[in-house]
Amino acid sequence: MAVLREGLCPGLNEDLVHDLRAADIKTVEDLVSSDLEELAQKCSVSYKALFAIRRVLLAQHTAFPVSGADLYEELLSSTAILSTGNPSLDKLLDSGLYTGEITELSGGPGSGKSQVCFGVAVHISYQLKQSVIYMDTTGGLTASRLLQMLQAETSNTEEQMEALQRIHIFRLFDVYSVLDCLYNLRSGGLQQTSVAGGSVKAVIVDSVSAVISPLLGGKQNEGMSLMIQVAGVLKAMAKDFNVAVLVTNHVTRSGSGEVQPGLGVSWSHIPRTRILLERVEYAVSVGRSSLCSATLFKSSRQACHIKEEFDLQCWSRSKERSSGKRKLDETNS
Amino acid sequence: MQRAVSSLALSPSVKVKLASAGFQFTADLRHLKPLQLSKEAGLSQQEALEVLQAARSEGAGHREGALTALELLQQEEEMRSIITFSSQLDAALGGGLPVGKTTEICGAPGVGKTQLCLQLAVDVQVPPCFGGVGGQVIYIDTEGSFLVQRVVDLATAVIRHCSLLVEDNDQRDAMTSFTVETILSNIFLVRCHDYVELLAELHLLQYFLLDHPKACLLVVDSVAFPFRHFDDLLQRTRLLHSVAQQLITMATRHSIAVALTNQMTTRLRGGQSQLVPALGESWGHTPTIRLLLHWAGPRRLAAIFKSPGHMDTTIQYQITSDGFRDADESEQPQSKRPRTHNDQSAGSQREAGC
Repeated sequence: MAVLREGLCPGLNEDLVHDLRAADIKTVEDLVSSDLEELAQKCSVSYKALFAIRRVLLAQHTAFPVSGADLYEELLSSTAILSTGNPSLDKLLDSGLYTGEITELSGGPGSGKSQVCFGVAVHISYQLKQSVIYMDTTGGLTASRLLQMLQAETSNTEEQMEALQRIHIFRLFDVYSVLDCLYNLRSGGLQQTSVAGGSVKAVIVDSVSAVISPLLGGKQNEGMSLMIQVAGVLKAMAKDFNVAVLVTNHVTRSGSGEVQPGLGVSWSHIPRTRILLERVEYAVSVGRSSLCSATLFKSSRQACHIKEEFDLQCWSRSKERSSGKRKLDETNS
Repeated sequence: MQRAVSSLALSPSVKVKLASAGFQFTADLRHLKPLQLSKEAGLSQQEALEVLQAARSEGAGHREGALTALELLQQEEEMRSIITFSSQLDAALGGGLPVGKTTEICGAPGVGKTQLCLQLAVDVQVPPCFGGVGGQVIYIDTEGSFLVQRVVDLATAVIRHCSLLVEDNDQRDAMTSFTVETILSNIFLVRCHDYVELLAELHLLQYFLLDHPKACLLVVDSVAFPFRHFDDLLQRTRLLHSVAQQLITMATRHSIAVALTNQMTTRLRGGQSQLVPALGESWGHTPTIRLLLHWAGPRRLAAIFKSPGHMDTTIQYQITSDGFRDADESEQPQSKRPRTHNDQSAGSQREAGC
């Protein structure tokens, strides 16, 4: 909450701020939670005046209730479901990425997280003609791979270039620059980016764990606080601008050797939907396939632990037109 | 939503002082003057100035680091890769070790990790007119496995190879300055004995890179050795992650290729033992490309295990007295066979570069 200063609300003049400060009341929070009667005596102001100030300040800082009916109407008008371009993944996500929510992909090294992110980015920018913001924190983004995926979609070079221009990339390698960037996008940068192409419908952060995990553990709690701030700004952005947020996370092994998404319990509350990716491995002699199995870990729409298998190559293979069309219709409806 | 002061890149002690003075959001700081702030929060004037700069800079420089995928594609096309002298591996990697990315080379002892690193240290210096990048190399050696004698062998082989390719005057000129001595003088060797030295070196490296703009390759052989047998595993993960972020920052900012080597370790799962790269699961995410060198009977194989831009492929290679080369399929004399292959790879490189 804000620091108390002159002119914040009627009746709060310089002398009063000075007196309050002498009584160790510096912020709105201090004032609201203090005992007003005692404070009135200490600062020799009338209780009534303080009470009035408190009421105004509370009104300024409070949130407003919204009726469920309004919310539902807004939901119907503004929420979009962005298809990922992969039928199996869409099935797992209940037809796609929802705007206003955070979806998380986790998986071991080389399990296909970045590939899914590329595929989603290409699909949204090419099929849905919307802008995508891609935050690359691991240096894994390869534009030539994006081009490869686009080439599978269309042979028209102009369309490919247009689609590439709708993908905005930020390459940031530490948590402070990620936070700077996110706050900037939130305070208007997002609309600026939208002017260039279609409106921004998705923000992809690949990977969120790469910037946070260097701060976790150790003695100070700063890492935890920064993680929650990243989460907070992502959530607020998703809601306020109606964008779908897709983040990737690494995996750790629990004591019993089971694979689970990383960043601990506090982070697990942040994404609305979590998906764990694993490569399907056959016998050693065959080597690794491009098949990938996805397990739903957390979802508010579907039963958890559903498993789907899909081919990571599906984005670079040309699809029959009808399926692409159908998805477009779904998203618009 | 207001931005919390704690999310600014400031030192923890400054943040604590700001919080105890009641400054929780950057909006509270905006209307203040440095002198006021230093009085109210008990900061030095210098600190107060830094705080205000940090609080005000948000909103200004956000285009920094932003580009569209099209611009990135153009950047990628301008960057050349470092050839490995194994045409199969080059083809699998799309022209060689990519510049601007981190590549991890994992493998059992003796399979050829260090050989590949030494080969790259020489290859990066191949003059541009031969399709190389003509850069310098920083070689961080943590195991003491850097052998100058071996570098001389490799360098001699590369020079011999290039001199056979000479066609025009440019190339002839380039050959006069492409000697074993210059190759050796363009390798900056740093010997780090423990992880503290390694971390310190990585911190200082960005200044070194500013002084040496021609540096194109950073080799860390190996990153695993100083970090194995670490008592506090949480601390290890933390340090490794910050190392990884530093490396990728340098790779992107200074356009250098980063090659790391990693050892293998045995993991027991369900009564079966399995050879996996060391340093744990979460380290595996940090390199952009992961190359796995392993034995299959008498043959040496290299597999691309993780890469955002390449298919998973496995290729065969061999280590000859000349260095890292394609495997002989037929039983031809070794001195001839690699050369014909190299001609092709170097040739295709040049075409790609033009």
